[in-house]
Amino acid sequence: MGEQHASPVLVSIRYAVLIVLALLFLVPIVFIVFTALKSNAELASRPFYALPSEPQWGNFAKAWNQGRLSMYIKNTLIICLVKVPLGILIEAFAAYALTRMKFRWSNAMFAFFLVGMMIPMQATLVPLNVFLNKTGLVSTYPGIMLVYLGFGIPFGIFVLRGFFRAIPMELDEAAYIDGCGDFQKFVKVILPLSMPAIATLVIFDFMATWNEFLLAQIFITKDEMKTITTGLLSFKGEHTANYTLMSAGVLISIVPVLAVYLAFQRYFVSGLAGAVKG
Amino acid sequence: MFMRAWKPWLYLLPALVIYLIVIFVPTLNTLYLSFFKWNGVAPDKTFVGLHNYTNLFLHDTVFGTALKNNLLWVAGSLLFVIGFGLLLALLLNAKLKGRIVFRGVFYFPYVLSGVIVATMWAWMYNPTQGFVNKVLESVGLESWAQAWLADPRTALGAVFIAALWHGIGQPMVLFLAGLQTIPADPYEAAIIDGAKRYQTFWHITLPLLRETFIIVFATTFIAAMKVYDIIYAMTAGGPAESTQVLSSWMYYQTFKFANIGSGSAISMILVLVSMVIIIPYVIFTTRRSHV
Repeated sequence: MGEQHASPVLVSIRYAVLIVLALLFLVPIVFIVFTALKSNAELASRPFYALPSEPQWGNFAKAWNQGRLSMYIKNTLIICLVKVPLGILIEAFAAYALTRMKFRWSNAMFAFFLVGMMIPMQATLVPLNVFLNKTGLVSTYPGIMLVYLGFGIPFGIFVLRGFFRAIPMELDEAAYIDGCGDFQKFVKVILPLSMPAIATLVIFDFMATWNEFLLAQIFITKDEMKTITTGLLSFKGEHTANYTLMSAGVLISIVPVLAVYLAFQRYFVSGLAGAVKG
Repeated sequence: MFMRAWKPWLYLLPALVIYLIVIFVPTLNTLYLSFFKWNGVAPDKTFVGLHNYTNLFLHDTVFGTALKNNLLWVAGSLLFVIGFGLLLALLLNAKLKGRIVFRGVFYFPYVLSGVIVATMWAWMYNPTQGFVNKVLESVGLESWAQAWLADPRTALGAVFIAALWHGIGQPMVLFLAGLQTIPADPYEAAIIDGAKRYQTFWHITLPLLRETFIIVFATTFIAAMKVYDIIYAMTAGGPAESTQVLSSWMYYQTFKFANIGSGSAISMILVLVSMVIIIPYVIFTTRRSHV
């Protein structure tokens, strides 16, 4: 461990610095909570640091219904709930072929998928737009899911292949002797052993899909199909001067992410390092 | 083990088909489109060779601004996001009560979307009621208060501070993970040899963090090259195009002005710059995972 043993004075200084920085980091959150709980009249008349005199919970109900945030969140949730498991399954199948099946092209195919990691989304937008328009998939769940699936594939394969490789080959042979075919081996041996990598991938994929903006902006043109990022932006555009309502909307859209974050914080922090390191 | 030759392809098929449809074929198509003049609807495209590229560099002044801003953004990210990330990691790398809480506070903004961060910070910078100006007023610095996002001199910096708040948690966590893998022995040996604290940092900590630095450098660089959400949602490239970056200018050229050729050329420039960083990075990571 690189931890140093320090004198009490140094420890106090360290605490002081950390507390000041943490408070600074919390300012935007606290400011927006305060704003969301005030009425517009109170926002204008009382000092910005004053606690809300009477919390305006109604702001949240208004943003949820009038601001159509409920609809945007529902859309995003549907997309995430299908895309994330389906994507990981597809990536796991591919990673399985690349690591567990005798296959002359496996390194070449892996490199081919990796090329996708260096393609910025911008480089695909126009042709994808033409394709989705021709097939009638613009502003549909299957359309946006297809696009999200595509962009998840290189990283997913990268992470899962790295993990599958670390599973000892002896297990495959044992499974083979027990009469398992390829598919059974995949379901009964490889997938269960890969749960840590899959859990990390689920969380990261969920966050990435939930927060995605550019693709949603281009490929979802109908308001009733918008996701939370593009939806929040149009919500903000419609209520430019209504800061209390807008703040309530921001907080509502933070809640699902915050819930996932708090529930899986361990995976975020340790998994991130693992995932990036491959 | 006998295996029919088509079987691996069956397992690869779904990923391969989707990857071809969504990424590979469109990218080649964009490369092709970058040599044409096209408005996106007309049946005919006009072949113009490298004109779209030369035009960007020679005549498109906004592209110049976008390129400069993007390079500034990369430099700022490499310096401040990595610098502060390392600083926070060093502060947290000790037996501290509440360490997990601190780490959670610094990392939390990273899980938010760029749009949320942009909306929060646009409110912080609000000229009349925003936190920043209110604080300046209440400490007697009214003259400093200004419309941060509406002034071309301050807009990019203001957005960058929001992005710093957003992104610092990621390098922090990576550095923290890197620091935890450093054993205590070299420090003990150094202290016996009479090394000062800053010397151990310089000669032990930094060299042993080399791998982490490579990962953090690559991910930060790529993220900074592709910056889009926070800029689009906070300033939409304004005021007076002063905060345009390559991604946002590509969006405007393509989807607002229907200059598909120019937009495609900008995307290809983004691809080229990304490749310069990602190819060595991928070689580095895959080679290591082979061992």
